[in-house]
Amino acid sequence: MSGPALAIEHLRVDFPEVVAVNDLTLALDAGDVCGLIGPNGAGKTTTMRAISGLQEFTCGSVRVGGHELAHEPDELKKRLGFMPDFCPTYDQLTTSEFLEHFARAFEVPNRAQRIEECLTLTWLTDKRDSLCEELSRGMKQRLVLAKTLLPDPQVLLLDEPASGLDPLGRIELRKILLQLHEAGKTVLISSHILTELSGFCNKAAIMERGKLVKFGTLAELGQQMGRRRMSVKWRGDETRARQILSAHGAVKNLEAAGQGAAFDFTGEPDALDELLKTLVVQGVRVCEWRGLGDDLEQIFLQSGAKELM
Amino acid sequence: MKLFENPIFLTQKRLVHRGGVLAAVIIAALIGFSLLAGLVSYLADPRDFHFASPQETGKTFYGWTMGVEILVLVIGGFSRIARTLADDRKAGLWDSNRLTPLHPAQIVAGYWFGPALREFYMAAVLAGFGLVIVLSGRLPLTLWLGTQILIASTALFFGLLAILAGMAFQRTQGLLIFLGFLFAYPFSFIAPSRLLTNFLLPIYGMANLFQTEPANFGNDWSRRPEIFGLPIFPILLSLGLQLVIGIFVWRALVRKTTNPFQPLLLRWEAVTLFSILIVSQHALLWDLWRGNFPNTPGIGQPPYDRESLLAVVHGGTIILGIMLLAFASPAPERVRVEALRLGFKNLDAVFSRSAVSLALALGGIAGAAMFTHFMFALAGSGQTFLVTAINLAEIFLVFALLLEFCRLRHKRRALGFVALWLFVVGVIPFILAGVFGSEAFIRFSLLTPGFFALGDRNNEEWSLLAYTLLAHFGIIVLLFIGWRRQWQRLLEKAH
Repeated sequence: MSGPALAIEHLRVDFPEVVAVNDLTLALDAGDVCGLIGPNGAGKTTTMRAISGLQEFTCGSVRVGGHELAHEPDELKKRLGFMPDFCPTYDQLTTSEFLEHFARAFEVPNRAQRIEECLTLTWLTDKRDSLCEELSRGMKQRLVLAKTLLPDPQVLLLDEPASGLDPLGRIELRKILLQLHEAGKTVLISSHILTELSGFCNKAAIMERGKLVKFGTLAELGQQMGRRRMSVKWRGDETRARQILSAHGAVKNLEAAGQGAAFDFTGEPDALDELLKTLVVQGVRVCEWRGLGDDLEQIFLQSGAKELM
Repeated sequence: MKLFENPIFLTQKRLVHRGGVLAAVIIAALIGFSLLAGLVSYLADPRDFHFASPQETGKTFYGWTMGVEILVLVIGGFSRIARTLADDRKAGLWDSNRLTPLHPAQIVAGYWFGPALREFYMAAVLAGFGLVIVLSGRLPLTLWLGTQILIASTALFFGLLAILAGMAFQRTQGLLIFLGFLFAYPFSFIAPSRLLTNFLLPIYGMANLFQTEPANFGNDWSRRPEIFGLPIFPILLSLGLQLVIGIFVWRALVRKTTNPFQPLLLRWEAVTLFSILIVSQHALLWDLWRGNFPNTPGIGQPPYDRESLLAVVHGGTIILGIMLLAFASPAPERVRVEALRLGFKNLDAVFSRSAVSLALALGGIAGAAMFTHFMFALAGSGQTFLVTAINLAEIFLVFALLLEFCRLRHKRRALGFVALWLFVVGVIPFILAGVFGSEAFIRFSLLTPGFFALGDRNNEEWSLLAYTLLAHFGIIVLLFIGWRRQWQRLLEKAH
């Protein structure tokens, strides 16, 4: 597949009295997991509904795998899975019957096998014969995710997949999402809980009042805001490393504890590489060096979107 | 994709069966068996009953069977389909299905045939008992076949309307509208063979099949209806009407399933549907005057007041026109978005999309259809025709302007304001007439000039009616100015 897996250009959605999504442009490549962040009413759900074809948009274009929504909606439907922020299920069907319904609708080959795979992926195999109405909120959420995964879509839109889940449910959901990430799926995911997105998002899109305020990889966003949060751990003497770090002009907000430290780096990426080199050359036994790309909350708060959901 | 491979149908079937069908089928069988037992006991000992013949008894018992069948399949089915769809829409399942590669027509078909399966089973059992009753009562098999065809076609027709109701309304609203419609229906029995509504619901077709007397002008239920003087089988007229309207409803459903933001009726569809219905209605009345209204061509006296029939049709035309205008009127927001998309800023583009131009078209069609009764008698009845046709056009225009004006100005509260202003221009004069004890006030109502002209052709008040029409035109001008200003504001906001 050439080009981005999901390309949105100049998307605009009008509601009476308000422009819900205004000139939104972003592109995600295969394997990208992008967190869609924004306060209430920022237009996240409307954006997802517009991409999936549920919401008519005023202008702009949506392409999935090169297929444009306006011209090839059926092709797009085969390649895109949308999980809404609530759990639409047929309460009087069992989970496997529910999945069978959608497997038929998507004309999934080897239906029974694929249903079993999706039930396994979402840890619902023991609930195969349970009625949907008997499932807990978290299980329903997983069932709807299983339904979304049935046709093996290349692009997934997950709208608040963690809302209403208890801590255990969130951990389970997180594991599933990590698996999807590892499977190379392109995922656009919105969530109230930014830490939910932290572990596996490599990109973030921040929306406010219908507009895309920031978009890019987490590192890029950190740089756009003039800093990148870093974490370093070492073995042996701690004073040497602390001295080097505190003496560096681009290192801010240094928080050192024991044999490790976290800091904001405000310099260029090359300068960051130089800093690592300096540490190593100066004899610091660095055993971990990583960007705290998961600092989505910081990015969000510094983006100008103030009202966290 | 065949129906039995349609996932929506299969799931609905599964849900119906999970809810249980055996009890319902047994109930239907018990009802059918009771009626059959009644017939058999009559045939065994006719002296205990008051029926003239076995045939009459058979008709009575078959009529009851049919009645229950209609109740179950048409009314029960309508309610079930509308409720299922409204619930699925509310739960988000409708959207989930729309996101699958299923064609919108497959989704509609699944909901058309799936949710009412229980009612279908019950009706099938009752139809079986009906057949035995017809054979036992030595009635013609065509009676059973004809009535069953009409019940099936009506159930299918109502099934489509139920999907429409489920798509557009909440579960209770749809049923209330349906019941309101049924309660208003007896008005169409004024002249059974002349009013189209009796063919849309195949009441006339069914009643006609039960008639044994030879056709005559006095017994309106036994004669063949005529389209511009050409006799036609009532069953064919019913099937044709249901098919034509069903096609339009089907198109609307598929369109709304593809994109819920599309209007229910396209403009050309509204015009075509209105033309078919209105022209058919006037065609049914043709032979009463043969273009010489109000003079009769010596065809004998029908068992109803021929004079008031055109007024009844005039009333029906108003209702139909208003309904179609409401369905085809574009949401202002949609026009604004279109203005943004296409970049138009002028009111001409709005006018061609608005229901106002449609109102003019419907008024013209209604006038042309009515003209068929006046065309050879313009010297004597020209005034009647002119007042009626102009009044119709004015009513349509006022409604279209008012609807769009209120939608633009009052947004979500628009319907309430439309009702308020229609009450002011249409009903207040009646209240004033009651308060002051003077009929003169009634003539000022927007709704009345046409009825006055048709009902009292010898009146001396043509000039008063003309002034009333002129006053109504003044209202239209004022509304048009307000309508124009509101659209201009919206277009300015759009850019």
